[in-house]
Amino acid sequence: MIAASRSNAPSSFEEEALPHLEAVYRFALRLSGTPDQAEDLVQDTFLRAYRSWGQYTPGTRAKSWLFTICRNVFLRQRERGRRHDEIVQRHAAARGGVVDLVNPLWRSLDGVDPEGAFFRSILDDEVLRAIDRLPEDYRTAVVLSDVEGLTYIEIAEMTGVPVGTVKSRLFRGRRQLQRVLYDYAVEAGVLPVASGTRDEEGHVAP
Amino acid sequence: MSLLERLKRLLGRVRRWKEAGGGSEMISCEQALSAVYEYLDGELEAGPREQVKAHFDVCARCYPHLRLEESFRTALRGASGSVQSPPGLRERVMDLIARSEDG
Ligand SMILES: [Zn+2]
Repeated sequence: MIAASRSNAPSSFEEEALPHLEAVYRFALRLSGTPDQAEDLVQDTFLRAYRSWGQYTPGTRAKSWLFTICRNVFLRQRERGRRHDEIVQRHAAARGGVVDLVNPLWRSLDGVDPEGAFFRSILDDEVLRAIDRLPEDYRTAVVLSDVEGLTYIEIAEMTGVPVGTVKSRLFRGRRQLQRVLYDYAVEAGVLPVASGTRDEEGHVAP
Repeated sequence: MSLLERLKRLLGRVRRWKEAGGGSEMISCEQALSAVYEYLDGELEAGPREQVKAHFDVCARCYPHLRLEESFRTALRGASGSVQSPPGLRERVMDLIARSEDG
């Protein structure tokens, strides 16, 4: 008797899933924060992906499918060892309040950076550290969109939220990240302190 | 022709001209800025995309804003792309899968 055949041959796993190893590692590193944890996460992800390869629909984006598995593994692990500071961070983010249509940062940079090249002057390590400090849902949205180029719909499907939520996470996540990088640049002396005053939360007002 | 009729015809022509996208028909700064992420993320349909692009192309106030967001994205991409997976990761993954096959 012939064993029930899987819809996808194992060889296609090598051709379709493994080429995304670097992208999954990049994502895993931003999720978990350390290379050791990222490697564990990648191994877990690919093992799970291999075992459920029969559920993968050929022709769809394997990358997005792998990211979904990766994030699920990460969230499950984190549930077990949830750290207090993450919960605190989460609340701080939710308190965000009204957001300006015109990027407040751009106002601060007006005249200082007419070319709009400011962010390119910041060291990679600083950028990565700032990304890693975002709450997980903002971080996931920003990394998947800005770095990996997934569409809003793909991110919505991956994270199980409506497209509108993806948009607002991207908006808030980007703004939060930009402010952290701006403050870093001022502290590091890359930028002169804006002429505006600082409000009670320390944000530069125009 | 009465003055009222001539006025109505004139208004009709103006409306048709506007509908045809005539002249300086342009979205506002607020509209352009509120669409900046969707524009950069490639999430706009052809029509709105052209309108947003047309605004950024000519608006001195909004253009630096677009550039700033572009440089932000370039920085994120560059920083994240500077990371490489540890040597031998692919082999270890393959090995793990092979061992799982054996039970
Ligand atoms: Zn404008």
